[in-house]
Amino acid sequence: MQELEVAGQGSVRVSRKDNDVVVIEKDLTTEEMLLSMGPQHPSTHGVLKLECMTDGEVVTSAEPYLGYLHRCFEKHCEMVDYPGIVPYTDRMDYLAGMNNEWAYCIAVEKLLDIEIPRRVEFIRVIVSELNRIASHLVAIGTYAIDLGAFTPFLFCFRDREHILSLLEWASGSRMLYNYIWIGGLSFDVPADFPKRLKEFVDYFRPKAVELYRLLTENEIFVKRTKGIGIMPADVAINYGWSGPMLRGSGVQWDLRRNDPYSVYPELDFKVPVPDGKFSVVGDCLSRHLVRALEMEESLNIIEQCISKMPGSEGFDARAAVPKRVRPKAGEVYGRAENPRGELGFYIQSDGKSTKPLRCKARSSCFVNLSAMKDLSKGQLIPDLVAIIGSIDIVLGEVDR
Amino acid sequence: MSEYFNNIKTGAVTIATGMGITLKHFFNAVKRKGDAGIDDADYFRQVDGLCTLQYPREAIPTPVNGRYRLHNNIEDCIGCGQCVRACPISCISMETIKVTPDDLAVCGKTSDGQQKKFWVPVFDIDVAKCMTCGICVSVCPTECLVHTPVSDFSEFDRSNMIYHFGNLTRLEAEAKQRKLAEVQAQAAKEKQAAAAKAATDKAQAENSGQ
Amino acid sequence: MSVSAIPQISLPFLMGNSLNAWSDALAGLTISWFPLGLVIIAAIPLVFIALYALTYGVYGERKISAFMQDRLGPMEVGKWGILQTLADILKLLQKEDIVPASADKFLFVVGPGILFVGSFLAFAVLPFSPAFIGASLNVGLFYAIGIVAIEVVGILAAGWGSNNKWSLYGAVRSVAQIVSYEIPASIALLCGAMMAGTLDMQQINLHQSGPYGFAHFYLFQSPIAWLPFLIYFIASLAETNRAPFDIPEAESELVAGYFTEYTGMKFAVIFLAEYGSMFMVSAILAIVFLGGWNSPLPNLGALALYDWTSGPVWGAFWIISKGFFFIFVQMWLRWTLPRLRVDQLMYLCWKVLTPFAFIAFVLTAIWEIYVP
Repeated sequence: MQELEVAGQGSVRVSRKDNDVVVIEKDLTTEEMLLSMGPQHPSTHGVLKLECMTDGEVVTSAEPYLGYLHRCFEKHCEMVDYPGIVPYTDRMDYLAGMNNEWAYCIAVEKLLDIEIPRRVEFIRVIVSELNRIASHLVAIGTYAIDLGAFTPFLFCFRDREHILSLLEWASGSRMLYNYIWIGGLSFDVPADFPKRLKEFVDYFRPKAVELYRLLTENEIFVKRTKGIGIMPADVAINYGWSGPMLRGSGVQWDLRRNDPYSVYPELDFKVPVPDGKFSVVGDCLSRHLVRALEMEESLNIIEQCISKMPGSEGFDARAAVPKRVRPKAGEVYGRAENPRGELGFYIQSDGKSTKPLRCKARSSCFVNLSAMKDLSKGQLIPDLVAIIGSIDIVLGEVDR
Repeated sequence: MSEYFNNIKTGAVTIATGMGITLKHFFNAVKRKGDAGIDDADYFRQVDGLCTLQYPREAIPTPVNGRYRLHNNIEDCIGCGQCVRACPISCISMETIKVTPDDLAVCGKTSDGQQKKFWVPVFDIDVAKCMTCGICVSVCPTECLVHTPVSDFSEFDRSNMIYHFGNLTRLEAEAKQRKLAEVQAQAAKEKQAAAAKAATDKAQAENSGQ
Repeated sequence: MSVSAIPQISLPFLMGNSLNAWSDALAGLTISWFPLGLVIIAAIPLVFIALYALTYGVYGERKISAFMQDRLGPMEVGKWGILQTLADILKLLQKEDIVPASADKFLFVVGPGILFVGSFLAFAVLPFSPAFIGASLNVGLFYAIGIVAIEVVGILAAGWGSNNKWSLYGAVRSVAQIVSYEIPASIALLCGAMMAGTLDMQQINLHQSGPYGFAHFYLFQSPIAWLPFLIYFIASLAETNRAPFDIPEAESELVAGYFTEYTGMKFAVIFLAEYGSMFMVSAILAIVFLGGWNSPLPNLGALALYDWTSGPVWGAFWIISKGFFFIFVQMWLRWTLPRLRVDQLMYLCWKVLTPFAFIAFVLTAIWEIYVP
């Protein structure tokens, strides 16, 4: 990829076309101004701080500053026993607690080498796909609000509310579940849960179409996002991007498909990537589209799980839950496809303690955000907002 | 040029579509979703219309397995302290006094017939710290520690967030402590006496043996 | 003089339909040297705007947006939350009036004032009914277009005086936007003026009155009038900084734009000015293209709907309801659409609206000459 040094060259607006940097607009060099965006800014999605050098409306460089929400997750894990870490993982990416728990449990189960009951796996798939929809709804809703459309945001939250209710019904808690345990679940789902889930799928399908027509197809929205913040596939891979960000750049990479875990190999679902007709591959609109299409795929997965799930007769959700988690000495890296990308846990055990020797989380948001500096060069301030929104960061996971 | 007019056309069409959707919602505002809980059979019956509830007067009920305020049925608590050890954030503090043998009947049994062997004068839960993870509940052997579905328990004073579940008042606890100390002292004395006796017996036996 | 004023003021109630009768009589009312009538005339739009902003502007916008978003909106203060705006005003009154230490104090204080005055000066030439117009200028429309430009000075003063980078961005964007959009807006209004052959607001309205109600409105007299009508509506959204053109106060980009640093009553004044200009542009739209205070109902044989619904009080009713309708459309758009980017805004203005405004101008001229 060709780099363009824009600092000190005045207001140069750039975009990418076929891996080349293209200058769209050039203006006279004027005095540069330091603009501190965040940590308390409406569109930095929490407490991200961007220190931008601006020339007029054009951002010549932007440096993200992190750490405002640092809660010593990794160090804290060394003080808590293995099952006690699960509720803390909820608090990393608080919009997708189930997925975080699952990624952590996958890692510990790999370390312990436990066989998971089949029904548990299906319930795990269902709750994490539900949570994926909820998380994408927040991503799409806040993206709409970043671009000035308030109504889609509230429609998204209205639908997310139903998902949170469903998850509350299953797990007892609305956001921070501690539902997926090492080796099992805290409870079986209620008896009526699959029925209500089916109703939810039927309810949500037309609402997703409505959202698509209200927001994604809107010409102003398309104009605001199309061709903005283009990330070529090779650069995205070099940055270590994953999840909808990487798929937005046209790389068909999904851990559910490429490194299958749980019962995903049995399920039939597509990995949506933009085809470049409606959007420019790799731009903000592509990333938004991938999220919108993934919600549809998640609904399909949930429907398949409802029909394939074994019955609850003689089922004990805690059957495989070890009484005392004390793994053999060793290390493990377990990963899962989070709504925001690959969430991995690297765990080291000394074989003696019930607490991990080291627990490192590979946060997808953090890795995705690392490209911010590159993406923001030569963009307008409104485009900067659109780019941050399309990265869909959760500062709880970035800072941990 | 055709792109220019196409832009204008798609802009007008999509804006009109969006406006149609919002207008539909505007006219749907005569309907309300109501406060059916997720465990109601007709939860998804009314899906259009206003979905907000006016919270203190109307609320979506929390499901029965809701995991919110911690509660301890102290009558069933055997004072084993598993919850205190399991809690990742140490929000439970507990003090126990061993029950003296003559008090065992007074201390009573749990509802499933297990003899309680400890007084629990202090069982404080700081629900402000509690993160409702449910780990303490899962380790509790007598199922006396439960998360209730009560989700709204805000207080004006932070000290009110510390819930006291102890089954003895402080005076009682002191009395029990003294009693236990006496009993233990007695036991120690007896033990000492027994040990001394054993020692003298042994010495005598050795002497006689020689 | 003060004695003779009393019969004068009682007259217009009898001579209902004569043009400007009430306002002329009211203007002549003086007590000794004090021109009480002029003060009352000046006060009427102020009181009207205060009431309208209180009820329809703030409360209505909150309710309309709520219903479009499946929410309830304000419900706590009074029945259906109807007193919510009063509670808000009480809150704003109690707020500390903060002038940032590094702000330019003079500009910071004077900014909202200019903004407020700018948006209210145009009310002088709005004919509220067949018998009431604050100042019956023969260049009324020209004055209304021109005086709005004063707002720009207020916005720039507020944004620059705040000494805040976000405010500065907001102010500069706003100035660029308002100045640009005045061009298509003025040309579009000129089409209306051309059809009327006058710039006098009352005369424009008179030209559109007739027994067939809405059929006499310029919008229905000529099919070409739809083009300037749409152009002016879009441009007026930009001039009042409403969505999708609210980039000067884009809350997700610029925090709150040029009024980021304002608190308390200064904030309320800016807010009031925004709602004032919203009504002002809606009323101009109604006057120039939709007959202003004329009843839209036609006389249908024995059902003389037009005659029954005409008169000074009906006139006020019609113009205010037409204005409110356009305000509703403005709100409707705001709660549907995302926001444009700065350069797209300029693209829309210079490359779409302005050429089409010129086309509309030429077509209207041709229509006026060749179509009887």
